[in-house]
Formats: sequence, C-alpha cells, structure tokens
Amino acid sequence: MVIQINKGPDNWTIEKKRFSVLNVGVGGQGIIRTTQILAWAALMDGYQVRTAETHGMAQRGGSVSAYIRFGPEVASPLIPKGQVDIILAFEISEALRVFNFSGPNTYFFVNNKIIIPPMVNQMGFKYPSNEILCQQLKNLHYNTYFFDADKLALKAGTSKALNIVMLGIILGSDKLPIKEDSLKHSILRFIPKKSQEVNRIAFQLGIEKGKSIRRDLL
Amino acid sequence: MSIPYFAEEIPGKRVIMLGNEAIARGILEAGVVIGAGYPGTPSSEILDTLAKMKPYYPHLNIEWSINEKVGFEVAYGGSISNARSVAVMKHVGLNVASDAFMTACYAGARGGMVVVSADDPNCFSSQNEQDNRYFGLHALIPVFEPSTVQEAKDLIKYAFEFSEEHHTIVLFRTTTRLNHGRGDVILGEIQNIDRPYGFDWDRARWVCLPSHSRVLRTKLLERFEKISNLADEFPFNSLKLSSEKINGIRYGFIAAGIPYAQLIDTLIDFGLENKVSILKLGMVYPPPKKLIRKLLSSVDKILVVEELEPILENILKQLTYENKLVNEVEIHGKDYFPQQGEFSGEIYLEKVASFIGIEYKKNVIPDIKISLPPRLPVLCPGCSHRSTFYAITLLEKELKLKFINSSDIGCYTLAVYKPLECVDTEICMGGSIGLANGFAKIHSTENPILAILGDSTFFHSGIPALINAVYNQNNLLVVILDNRSTSMTGFQDNPGTGIKITKEPGTRVVIEELVRGCGVPPENIWVEDSYNLNKMVEKLREALKAQGVRVFISRHLCSLLEEKEFRSKQIQIPVVKVDPSKCKGCLICVNQFGCPALSFNKEEKKAIINQEICRGCKVCISVCQYDAIYEEIN
Repeated sequence: MVIQINKGPDNWTIEKKRFSVLNVGVGGQGIIRTTQILAWAALMDGYQVRTAETHGMAQRGGSVSAYIRFGPEVASPLIPKGQVDIILAFEISEALRVFNFSGPNTYFFVNNKIIIPPMVNQMGFKYPSNEILCQQLKNLHYNTYFFDADKLALKAGTSKALNIVMLGIILGSDKLPIKEDSLKHSILRFIPKKSQEVNRIAFQLGIEKGKSIRRDLL
Repeated sequence: MSIPYFAEEIPGKRVIMLGNEAIARGILEAGVVIGAGYPGTPSSEILDTLAKMKPYYPHLNIEWSINEKVGFEVAYGGSISNARSVAVMKHVGLNVASDAFMTACYAGARGGMVVVSADDPNCFSSQNEQDNRYFGLHALIPVFEPSTVQEAKDLIKYAFEFSEEHHTIVLFRTTTRLNHGRGDVILGEIQNIDRPYGFDWDRARWVCLPSHSRVLRTKLLERFEKISNLADEFPFNSLKLSSEKINGIRYGFIAAGIPYAQLIDTLIDFGLENKVSILKLGMVYPPPKKLIRKLLSSVDKILVVEELEPILENILKQLTYENKLVNEVEIHGKDYFPQQGEFSGEIYLEKVASFIGIEYKKNVIPDIKISLPPRLPVLCPGCSHRSTFYAITLLEKELKLKFINSSDIGCYTLAVYKPLECVDTEICMGGSIGLANGFAKIHSTENPILAILGDSTFFHSGIPALINAVYNQNNLLVVILDNRSTSMTGFQDNPGTGIKITKEPGTRVVIEELVRGCGVPPENIWVEDSYNLNKMVEKLREALKAQGVRVFISRHLCSLLEEKEFRSKQIQIPVVKVDPSKCKGCLICVNQFGCPALSFNKEEKKAIINQEICRGCKVCISVCQYDAIYEEIN
C-alpha cells in the first residue's frame, strides 16, 4: 500500500510510503491543534501516524514547530531535511526559519503575516520586513504560495479559526492526501458546539482559497 | 461531558494519543492505584491525564507531590502496601528523588512499582541533558524504553507485571519526542487488580539499617542476575538476523527508543531493512547477553545508534571482549553519532550511509541571504514577574549598587534576557536560596544578595535553604514570586493554591505563615501585589535596607490564568492606552520595562499599546514618568 498524491494540473500521480508535513508558526497560533487534527484525520484514513511537537512555548511567544508523518507504515516522527512534502507556515519568517527542511518537491503554504518578536529592537537586532521575506522565499523556492489566512478567518467570524482556514487551504490545493470527510470530522472533534458554524465557514473559505491556488501550482 | 478518548473502555479501538497520554493509559490499564510526582517538561501531562481519568476510575489516587523525592516516596508507600504505584518526573527530578530511589531499589517492590523518567536530549526545556539510563546501572534495576507511542502504553503496562514478578522497581525512560509526539494507539483492556492492600510488617526488608542493608544488597545482586538472564526472552527485545552481505560485509545495528524508530525508516529509505541484522531493545538495561552474542557472531560490523552517552556501546564492547570476538567484529557508535543533543532525521541518513559505504546526497540548501533574529520565549504581557523584576532594576539604579540575583527554575528565568537582565545564576530547583547562602559568606553590603524564586519552586526545595539562612545568619533577601501557579509546566496547582491535581479542594499552605515558621522574624517579611509597582518599590527598598534574612513576597495570579478567569466570569479586561500628546518618546516603557504589548511608532516617536495582546495589568501606567499612559473608562 502506498499513498497516491495528485501532482500538477494533469493529475498524474506519484506514490509515496509516507507523507510529511511541517507546521510552523508562533506560539498561540494553533499549530499544535492543527497537528492534532491532521493526525486524527490520517488515522481515519487508515494510516499510521507519528508527530513530534514543541510544547511549553505555546503561550510565551516562542517559535513553534510540529512534524507530522503518516502513511501505510511509518515509524519515525522526525522528518529528515529535504523530505518535507508540505510546509504549512502560519507566519512568514517562521517559514524561512525552516527553509532548510525543504527539498525540490516541497510545497510551501505561507500565511502572509509577519509577527515581529518582542524585544528584537532592544536586543540590537533589526527584523526584516514582510516584503523582503516574501521575496526571499519566492526566490528560493518555486513552489511557494502566499495568502492572507487571518483575513479569511476574520471573514468567517473569528481570528481564532486561523488554523481551520489553513487546513482548508492545503486540502483545497489538492496537495494533502487526506479525504475531505476525514478532515472535516477530525476538525469537529476539537471544536465546541457553539463555534462549529464559524469553523465550518472558515474551512470552506480555506478550501476555496486552496482551489484558486491549485490553478497556479506547478 | 463525554468520556475523554484516553479513558474509554473499548479495547481494540484505534485512537491518536500524545505519548504522555499513552503512558497514562498504560498506567490505567495496569490497574495502578497510586500516581505521584512533580511537574516537569516533558513529563507533566502524564499525571495531569491520570487526574482527568479519575472521575471514571475512582480507584485512582493521583497527586502532585511537593517535589520528586516525596512523590517517589508516596508511590513507594503504595508499593510497600501491595498497590501498583507509579512515580513520574523529568530526568533532573530523579536527581532529587535519588536519595530515596537508590535505597528503595535494595528493598525492591511489593506492589508493581515503576519510576517514569522523561529525559530531554537537546535540553529543549531543561537545564541539562543527563542520560538517566545510568540510574539503572547505578541502582541495579531494569530500564525500559519504548520506541513508539503504542509501545509506550504496552510496555509500561507490562512493567508493573514485571516489577511485581521480580520484586524490582522498574525505571521507565522516555525522551521528549516520545512524550510530546503523537501516534496511533490501539486501546487495551483495563485490568482490575482484585487483591487486598495492606501494610507489610517485614522489618528486615523495609528498615534499611546497616545490618539489614547488607542482606538486602545480596538479594539485590541475586535479583539483578536473574533479570539479566531473562533479558534474552524479554518480549519487547527482538533480534532480526540477516546473512546478506553488502560489498562482502555483514552489517548489524542496535537501537532502542526514538532512535530505533528513526533507524528503521532510514534503513527502509535505503532499501536495507532486510539486508542487515537489527537488535531492537525494549529493555535497555540489563543487556540480553545471548541475543548480543548471536548478533556479534553473525555480523562483521555493528553500529550502536543511541543518543547521549555510549552506554550500550560500552556494554557491547565489553561483551565482545568476554566472548573473545574482538578480532571478529567491529563495534562503532560515538565515532559516527554525536554524544550531544538530539539526532535529527538527516543525521541517521548521513551516518548509516557512511557506515555502510553507500552514497547519500545531502539535501542542497540554497543560502538564505538575510539573518533572522531569534524568536525567544518571553515573559507574557501582564506577567507579574516582569513587574517585580522591574522594581528590582529601579532600586538597583536608585541605590547605585550591583545586586547579585540568584535565581531559579521557572518562567521567571526568562528575565535573564534584555531588557530586565535580572538573573545572574540558575542551576536547579531551589538553588537560588542555597547559592545565596554561599554568596552571603563572601560578599559585602556593596552587593546585596537576592534569591529570587517562584511559589512552587519555594515549596519544592527552597524551604530547607531558607531555614539554613536563618540558622546560620546568612544575610540575604529572598524574593518569592507567588503567581499562584506552576506556570511553565502547564499551570499546575501547588500547596499555595490549596487545590489538588483533581481540582478538588486541599489545604492551602500560606507562604508568609510558612516563612515565619522557618524563623524569619515578622518585621522581616513583606507582602505586596505585584501589579502595584509603586508600593512594591517602597517595600522592596525597606527590605533591601534591613538586615538579616528577609523575605519579600510578590503576589499576583499568573496573567494567563487571570485572563482565563476574567473571561469565564465575563469581567471586562481594563483598556490601557497611550496619550500621544503626553508621550515624550523617552522609550522607558518599551526599552526598560519591555512588555510585549508595548512598542514604538518611529514616525510619530510615540509609544503604542497593542490592544490585541494587552492584558490590562496597568503596571505600565506607573512605569511612565509623564502620565502618558492611562486607563480608558467608558
């Protein structure tokens, strides 16, 4: 058994033993929850799942990253550099920080938002601007796609739905080999009843965005 | 509320679990009665999860103990009374518990007794990366280590049986990637241990005085030898032999834990999984001698894949000598893999390739032309510690003295960074007061000595050092940052809150009463709300000018918890703003106080407050000398 992934507009497929996603961002953006949702969805699709997550820094503004690997047979949680299939970045400079994990077949999905770390100026550093970071990423990797997921989350009704928008985007892009139903069920698992409608809209907005990105994908 | 997935009684059901949840689940499935320990990353979620199981399994007796030593003793009391018991801690916690642990291993277990030690290669959230497998060699007890989340559950469940059968304490060692990684797990049956619990008046066993200990030591050695002989049949050890040669050489590997999982996928990537021999260990100590002998005589070269210390490697080299195979087989380990940090995914690819002599093309990464400043964790907006540290820096300037700030383990260690830079030493839990005792013997009043530590850390091991200061008249000021929570590890309660791990009411221990009981005279004790900056400076000034052992308690609930409380009670968070007409752009609030909610608009040369993250603590109102910051009341 292998994972079939649609690759490119002609829908030719590649086969893989395991699929690897690296979620990165800043504490509080919902990176761990996103990883948890993906893990349950992959389980529903019948795969083995491994994750490795940064805990503890979540609420103190540090960099957060979480690896997830799934497939018919997966043992290892850590992804070797170059083997990541999707880098899902909730913040643009965090995408650049893990740039060395990407390989020629990696897709970058980047929320076009910059969060300047507190104290950077006081420490005598200068933080690069959003434009410079975007340009760097684009120059470095042809499979880099930007979008404003925060705006879509707000449009859905709450900034907290950011991670659900992000999940919708990678699903809509057709680059994530997980069934839509499984992902939907997995999301609902972690959302209290009263917020389900907002998150349903957020997921849909993300999927639409992902579909529009799909047209640009190489 | 529906039953959480980790507590469900549906054997065979497949779920996703965090490593620590799976360990808790294994403990539940084993019919354990007592769980005790002290929070510490990456181990904390184990007892937290067990506490969440308690409503469905009332036989569980789970507690946060005051420190790891007491936690171990609580669990051991359970074992002596024939109940299955577990003590849970991070790796450095076992140092604290080791006094009790080392001798308890002589007397052994009655009810199954397991000590969970969560090690932290790479010091993700620890002061060191010690390898606690050594405690197995040190105490002569078996060490188990799981390599997947599923195995973590199954292996710890088995560990209680093993412990009971062989009357030994079992050390269950994990590393961060296991504790804080998720995986698919099949739930097992929850055992019902139906037997009477009761004390055992076997004084020759439980009273470890010299005449008994000599006998117990003999029994320990016998027990250990028996376990060593059983290691070859241990169900979580396995040897897969291959007679295939690669370029004329037969290769073998030994691994356990996360390195085993990474190694297997690496071998699959190279298509080597069936072409090499692999010894996988679930019991990493004592070693399975027959299996190792089989491996030694079946291959030409062996690579031991283990993070941190070369423990298995050294054992292997010893066994090679004992089996007279030194000239037949090469043993490698630390000549390939580093002795420091965590092994990244690509280290495995690189080292396995170079060991076997196959090509591995490193991922070529283009240069990133800009340097990104680090994103370090910081004290949160509204953090009560920030306000206390700021008061200390103000007094340092006012008194024109250089303080020695001996600090401790907790969120507040982050004050080592700019702009506060208020932490000069930090080595271990409670070490702030201990070290300060020593500094007091050397330094004159030119350098006032402050010992700064949190509420939970003070309870953990600050108290004996405080009594020491009183007894020996060591002149120092203890600052207790009482934010009424063990925040860094996940907001656990402690004696200062009087709430138990199960959220049931316990008995609150009031810090100022405790301090008085330690012998600090009442006139040398000050208490103030951390958010009241002016009052705090006033009282701290008094405390700094006084003599003898002094204690200043700065108290305010952790801002993250207070925010949660406000939200649940629908209390409006105060709105704090900068009046641009009054702001002089002096930057003191931004550059010296340094709350993450404050920043500076360079064009207009005015401070601004980010309303999205401001917690409304209002401390910056007192920080501003020009009354430019105000609370907006509508």
